[in-house]
Amino acid sequence: MTSTSTVSSPSSLPLVDIAGLRKRYGSNEVLKGVDLQVNRGEVVSIIGKSGSGKSTLLRCINGLENFQEGQLTVHGQALQAHNPQAMRELRKNVGMIFQNFNLFPHLSVGRNVMLAPSLVMSQPKNVARANAERLLDRVGLAEKFDAMPDQLSGGQQQRVAIARALAMDPEILLCDEVTSALDPELVGEVLSVVESLAEQGMTLILVTHEMNFARKVSDKVVFMHQGKVHEVGAPEQLFSQPQTPELRQFLGLSAH
Amino acid sequence: MVEFTFWDIAYQLLLALRWTVVLSLIAFVCGGLLGLGLLVLRLSKLPGAVKAVAVYVQVFQGTPLLMQIFLTYFGLALMGFDTSPMVAACVCLTLYSAAYLCDIWRGCVDSVAKGQWEASASLAMSFAEQLRHVILPQALRLGIAPTAGFMVQIIKGTALTSVIGFIEITKAGQLIANATFEPFLVYGCVAALYFVLCFPLSLWSQRLERRMRPQR
Repeated sequence: MTSTSTVSSPSSLPLVDIAGLRKRYGSNEVLKGVDLQVNRGEVVSIIGKSGSGKSTLLRCINGLENFQEGQLTVHGQALQAHNPQAMRELRKNVGMIFQNFNLFPHLSVGRNVMLAPSLVMSQPKNVARANAERLLDRVGLAEKFDAMPDQLSGGQQQRVAIARALAMDPEILLCDEVTSALDPELVGEVLSVVESLAEQGMTLILVTHEMNFARKVSDKVVFMHQGKVHEVGAPEQLFSQPQTPELRQFLGLSAH
Repeated sequence: MVEFTFWDIAYQLLLALRWTVVLSLIAFVCGGLLGLGLLVLRLSKLPGAVKAVAVYVQVFQGTPLLMQIFLTYFGLALMGFDTSPMVAACVCLTLYSAAYLCDIWRGCVDSVAKGQWEASASLAMSFAEQLRHVILPQALRLGIAPTAGFMVQIIKGTALTSVIGFIEITKAGQLIANATFEPFLVYGCVAALYFVLCFPLSLWSQRLERRMRPQR
């Protein structure tokens, strides 16, 4: 369990506060009481075996999945799944990047990035365009503004997806195995963009299989096992001194 | 015995052809609008909406068009509306087209990857914005071929309205064949006219599909 700060002032309240979260698919309980806090500016990596509930947990945070029991609070506001207006406000502040990029194939790269701000935040076209150009430059794809998504490599598409999520100026970015669908040579370019976001103080929650990256960039690593948070700690401590046999086995360190 | 020239026959058929075209267009446009409304209703997941639309579609897909035309014609009369065959034919074909088009387009929307819904939702887009800017443009691309295919079905379906006395080219063909005692010639011309309406439509839809597909 993480230790919460002793003095509870507004600025030290966790940005994301999850308590006792339970989620079922029919009779199959996928999340069995998850507790997690993420503070502003923290980079949290969630690791674990397939089926441990990591992606499901991430998707609960921005409302793509519903949960049956427990509390989920983002920036002090409890998640109201049945209130479309509240969900819209939540998703303006919580962006997400997917394993399969999910770019809009019928729009150019630039229009992909511009679409949501111009609709949701009613940004005028020229402002949206300028922002899109700036963000694409930030991820190193300034010259690809008019290209179509299917003309780009996987790594480039994922970087466009990052720019698209950043266009909404979110406080928190959720990254769901963002490099798992990429060729190894393309993984580096995406990870360096994510790393630069971390350095600039963005709050990130990453589900990842890239252990080295998690170790390098995270403030806190969460190991999930069978729907619960099994171990939490600073990366050096978690990776070099795993406390539980499950984590040892997951990291491939179990003695034969 | 009166002699009819080929031109006599052709001229009467061409006059009746107008009505086939008008009826087909009304059925497609009105049916398309109604079908789109039903589609949005079905996608909105309002309580009862999915079931209601599914029942509507099943009724029209599960019964022969001929029966639907009879029921509409006599049903409207029973309800007290003074209907001409034209009105009954338009109403029936509109309802029929709406059912099929709604189902075709629902299939196209379902074919759009779930990730598109998730990505646009994560960007805080509302349901209407998701449909209008992300989902429907992609579904449209997938929908051209089956929609054009159904348009051809509508054109051929107008032939059945002859049974309630609506004078389109099939009915006109019957009347002319009875008058001229040349059924093979007359019905041959009728079939040729249907072909002239349907074939360019198929060609155009193929061209439209090709244009919408990205060039590789």
